[in-house]
Amino acid sequence: MDAVSLNDYDLDKLNDKDKADLRQFLNNENQKARVQSTVHSLTDMCWKKCVTGAIKQGKLDTTEDGCIVSCVDRFLDVSNLTMKHLQNLRQG
Amino acid sequence: MNSESVKAEVIKQVRTQYAMNNARELIEKVNEHCFQKCIPKPGSSLSSGEQICFTQCMEKYMSAWNQVSTTYIKRLQREQ
Repeated sequence: MDAVSLNDYDLDKLNDKDKADLRQFLNNENQKARVQSTVHSLTDMCWKKCVTGAIKQGKLDTTEDGCIVSCVDRFLDVSNLTMKHLQNLRQG
Repeated sequence: MNSESVKAEVIKQVRTQYAMNNARELIEKVNEHCFQKCIPKPGSSLSSGEQICFTQCMEKYMSAWNQVSTTYIKRLQREQ
């Protein structure tokens, strides 16, 4: 797959509508990338907590699967709690 | 190139770049965690047992990734 190289000259050809479209597209892609990056770090963390035994099969067993769901939900609870606590500190 | 085709090219290149970054991150994590799990004492070559473990670990890590992704996205939607 060869990427066509885009130089500044090509980018100058973008009209205002296409510039706005691209801005929107980049915002969306950045948001997706942020979500994916969180998924990577949560998987890293919850794998360590939930997959503790030897690997015997390619699928998650029900205990591991449930543990991962709880791990993600509890981590997000805790991160909400941090925000709430900080807000209280600021107002207090 | 006109405006339309420049836009299409930018979109294509950004998508490819993001997909590659995502894949690279996943591969790094799989290698790290599955090496840890399946090759506790590295020998002079990979044994077939280690290879089987590694393959299963890889599949398992990807299932974990998918489960985390589903759970996280559900939660994001609930909290919006």
